[in-house]
Amino acid sequence: MFSLRGCGRWVAASLAKQHVPPPARLSGDSASAAPGTPRYDVVVVGGGHAGTEAAAAAARCGSRTLLLTHRVDTIGQMSCNPSFGGIGKGHLMREVDALDGLCSRICDQSGIHYKVLNRRKGPAVWGLRAQIDRKLYKQNMQKEILNTPLLTVQEGAVEDLILTEPEPEHTGKCRVSGVVLVDGSKVYADSVILTAGTFLRGMIVIGLEMHPAGRLGDQPSIGLAQTLEKLGFVVGRLKTGTPPRIAKDSINFSILNKQTPDNPSIPFSFINETVWIKPEDQLPCYLTHTNPRVDEIILENLHLNSHIKETTKGPRYCPSIESKVLRFPNRLHQVWLEPEGIDSDLIYPQGLSVTLPAELQEKMITCIRGLEKAKMIQPGYGVQYDYLDPRQITPSLETHLVQRLFFAGQINGTTGYEEAAAQGVIAGINASLRVRRKPPFVVSRTEGYIGVLIDDLTTHGTNEPYRMFTSRAEFRLSLRPDNADSRLTFRGNSSLSLPTRFTLLSDLSHVLSCLLLGCKEAGCVSQQRYERASWMKSSLEEGISMLKSIEFSSSKWKKLIPEASISMGKVVSIRALDVLKYEEVDLELLAKAVPGPLKKYTQCRELAERLKIEATYETVLFHQQQEIKDIQRDEALQLPKDLDYLTLRDVSLSQEVREKLHFSRPQTIGAASRIPGVTPAALVNLLRFVKTIQQRQAAMNELPKTGQCDTDRLEKRQL
Amino acid sequence: MHLSNEEGYWRPRERRERKLGRDANLESPGKANGHLPRRPCVRQSSGAGAPGSGATIFALSSGQGRCGIAVIRTSGPASGHALRSLTAPRELPRARSASLRLLTDPRSGEPLDRALVLWFPGPHSFTGEDCAEFHVHGGPAVVSGVLQALGRVPGLRPAEAGEFTRRAFAHGKLSLTEVEGLADLIHAETEAQRRQALRQLDGELGQLCRGWAETLTKALAHVEAYIDFGEDDNLEEGVLEQADSQVRELAVALDTHLRDARRGQRLRSGAHVVVTGPPNAGKSSLVNLLSRKPVSIVSPEPGTTRDVLETPVDLAGFPALLSDTAGLREGQGPVEQEGVRRARERLEQADLILAVLDASDLASPSSCDFLDTVVTPAIARSPNGNGQRLLLVLNKSDLLPPGGPDLSPELPPHLLLSCLTGAGLDGLLEALRKELAAVCGNPSTGPPLLTRARHQHHLQACLDALGSYRHAPDVALAAEALRVARGHLARLHGGGGTEEVLDIIFRDFCVGK
Repeated sequence: MFSLRGCGRWVAASLAKQHVPPPARLSGDSASAAPGTPRYDVVVVGGGHAGTEAAAAAARCGSRTLLLTHRVDTIGQMSCNPSFGGIGKGHLMREVDALDGLCSRICDQSGIHYKVLNRRKGPAVWGLRAQIDRKLYKQNMQKEILNTPLLTVQEGAVEDLILTEPEPEHTGKCRVSGVVLVDGSKVYADSVILTAGTFLRGMIVIGLEMHPAGRLGDQPSIGLAQTLEKLGFVVGRLKTGTPPRIAKDSINFSILNKQTPDNPSIPFSFINETVWIKPEDQLPCYLTHTNPRVDEIILENLHLNSHIKETTKGPRYCPSIESKVLRFPNRLHQVWLEPEGIDSDLIYPQGLSVTLPAELQEKMITCIRGLEKAKMIQPGYGVQYDYLDPRQITPSLETHLVQRLFFAGQINGTTGYEEAAAQGVIAGINASLRVRRKPPFVVSRTEGYIGVLIDDLTTHGTNEPYRMFTSRAEFRLSLRPDNADSRLTFRGNSSLSLPTRFTLLSDLSHVLSCLLLGCKEAGCVSQQRYERASWMKSSLEEGISMLKSIEFSSSKWKKLIPEASISMGKVVSIRALDVLKYEEVDLELLAKAVPGPLKKYTQCRELAERLKIEATYETVLFHQQQEIKDIQRDEALQLPKDLDYLTLRDVSLSQEVREKLHFSRPQTIGAASRIPGVTPAALVNLLRFVKTIQQRQAAMNELPKTGQCDTDRLEKRQL
Repeated sequence: MHLSNEEGYWRPRERRERKLGRDANLESPGKANGHLPRRPCVRQSSGAGAPGSGATIFALSSGQGRCGIAVIRTSGPASGHALRSLTAPRELPRARSASLRLLTDPRSGEPLDRALVLWFPGPHSFTGEDCAEFHVHGGPAVVSGVLQALGRVPGLRPAEAGEFTRRAFAHGKLSLTEVEGLADLIHAETEAQRRQALRQLDGELGQLCRGWAETLTKALAHVEAYIDFGEDDNLEEGVLEQADSQVRELAVALDTHLRDARRGQRLRSGAHVVVTGPPNAGKSSLVNLLSRKPVSIVSPEPGTTRDVLETPVDLAGFPALLSDTAGLREGQGPVEQEGVRRARERLEQADLILAVLDASDLASPSSCDFLDTVVTPAIARSPNGNGQRLLLVLNKSDLLPPGGPDLSPELPPHLLLSCLTGAGLDGLLEALRKELAAVCGNPSTGPPLLTRARHQHHLQACLDALGSYRHAPDVALAAEALRVARGHLARLHGGGGTEEVLDIIFRDFCVGK
């Protein structure tokens, strides 16, 4: 059905699920393209963690999508650590999964050591994490991608963009309408997503040697970088690194500290009850430490290490062993020995990221306990690459400069598979919405870590590889791994938490209903997932009101649950929900005391656990919700996208504020308020301006009645 | 799962209060229903107050200066609750009509004042929200007492700059033309608050605040590091224990401070008028002339005044604090240098600057330098009369040649005066009257009282949050309590971003892999 008329060298157009009808396409669509030139709704450049998620999301949303990659066999490649998730990163994966993204499901099929971090520190900061089999992950990801309806995969290196006149109703100096491959062939597209990773002018560094490469053994993209620079994008340079790989059979594990996986394994995906592998079949990790001899080797050979001397910014939190030794001398640093796969003979020494010349790396490794006879199979290396200042993209990840061009992943200055995947999903959904002329799908920082990530990037930019931490999220107690589905899976329906912001701005309600329609029609979530999330949501609501309705005196509770340290206060009656807040009480225990109404909630492990979590945080969340509403109110106040802040006459703003707004182009008053240096007075001026524009629009639309109704209806749903 | 949707602030009043009471009980199950609820651990939202924000705000809305009656206003859903708390046990007065009530402190039961109160249920009110007004007798003790009592009502907090107006705007209570001046107003209020804060932070309290904020940020950073990196990085042993003891010490310090009977620093009320200029321009003579008493030593020797001399005066009918400062010039020995530093610091805090130059010596380098570095920038900073005001006074007009002064046409607007003969004094007083009327007419520039209420409110809220830190069942909740506490201190001394915390984490720990 999608025979490729282009000159791709390798095509895998798969329509395994033939019964899924492709969306109707206007026959005139391809008329503008030259005969024989392929044409897609969305073209995704790059097959890494951002690219795969972006391509799959766009296809899920119903767009005919092409994934262009240097090599099909590297799709889904984990170029660095053999693990997914962690603290903050696990949160991102849950959110990607809530939007039906791929990485969580693939990890549930490919993990070899599942462990939830921070178990004792409160459910808001639990970090789902797993060691992943590289080979399995890649295989499963490729299977998934090649079996996604509407998604075509083609090999080819993109050299240039095809640009045309801009759409007058949008900002941007031109519009992208396709890509040019290295061989000169063209692919036309209505939206293009660039997920170039470290390939933009990528340089690999080992010792004093540098050579151009995006990843060890892969060519960098130089033409594309030049094109972007010529278009006027502000480009920066970042660096990262990866440790050497060690032969498994050359390590003496018997003298090292062993870490075993969790039992039972907690899956990443909401739709999985279990993971593919039993805990007893999973592989252990081992812990060893550096020693003063390692410090010596590094310090003696700094002159042979150009990566360390460079001024390019590396991450502070994923430091190379060199920078650890330099910044924190005379300490022992942890080295985790992690399996690369179930049948792999390689070990990944996490914590040993290094760019010394290869022979010195081996010398360093062999002075570490347990690694005395270790054989280095591949040296560690550093990568330096171009990134584009992310203040040049909108929260939907479209660039300000070029219409319909989206960026996702390391190209925006982030680091990490999960950060890339999160951006990929958002870019894919939005590229698809853009093609269908729908309003963008934006996750607020009050709704998810994805929102925090994108808001931080687009309002503050970054000058080091950006990684997610839970400390970045101000609403950490609300944005938990357990409730990502409630927060995001129904964004279509429950973005109705928006409307209270509009109660007083009824003239905006039609804008709102368009927005809601957009989310629903994003359609990136499968029916199965939607139903499961709905069931969970209604069970939780029912369970919570049940727990609130059961009230006994404290003395009665004490008799019912002697294990709990319920204080004998003056309070007349205590709700079951309050009893569940006690650390030593879980739903099982509570249901034993009051079996009648509560027994059924213990049937599902996830439900019981989530009820306990909701109880734990109930009081704090009640107050946090107020603050969230305040922020959402400001975020509902949209700033016109086409404002020319530098010349705008109707608004009194200082030159400094104008320049900041001009560069970041915040889309809402809320985003503007987070840009450093934008004063309260400037905000009010902007607010007044927005209000004037809204009044003008309302007058033009003349829909006061409908507007009012919409607001009422939305409010009702909200309650 | 948006649990609290069903308990949002848009509920009928009765239900909401019941909920509030119950929540408080959840936090401290020992307390009976109906008793004073424990203050919830609530964070302050960032940025300018959001329009239609759920919190209830209060502020002194009449200007300072001599007035018989001061008006204190609240706006927000807890206004009715606040009104009843202070007039307990009486019912709410009839809407929009004045009633006489005895105001008492809800905590101590102490009578505060017999005052007129008004109740404006939304949306028919100034801001469109529920509003209450307290018309109290204008003495500082009464006003201060009422403000502090309001600050202790759960759900109430002092208003941020321009917040009342912004809410009115958000609720469609102001036309667009009325809003024209809003940004200017907010700018002026922000500036005034900043200056006021500088005055407050200048002293001992400021140092304390900065110290507390540093301790708290560090403790938070360590707890955050424990959360984000504790699992597989080698943080030193005892990171949490260290944070615990820091928080304990901080709580003791805050508690002592709040209990300290002397905490009410001397209220330096009135507009701050600072006299400045190059050495020997006649600043001290002007101060003595305006205060009608020899406050400062006057001598023909440049650099006679070396410290800041303050004197409360009545200027053209307005209370003012007049400060004489050392002449601005580069180093003449350490004592005078310190005097110059203090002079510049005081200048920052001024509501009104009286810039004095020797009219007969305008061409001298010190005069030109003063014009360039102080006068011109101050005028440029406040193009439409907002922010700091400045009057340029050319003293020693008696030394000018007869037949009209020969002044440069580029000189900014100025007044001629002779402190020796008194010529020009009437003109100066008239100009001062106009400027001070503008300064004092703005309620937020009279804020020693309001500032004190703000300080108390945020310090108490910070202390309460530190209390919930200790009782938190898990580390995530404990960190949240520290974030809340830090947010309140940030309201007093500024700062408070996430980056600051991350910087400390990466400075103190070798984390990451």
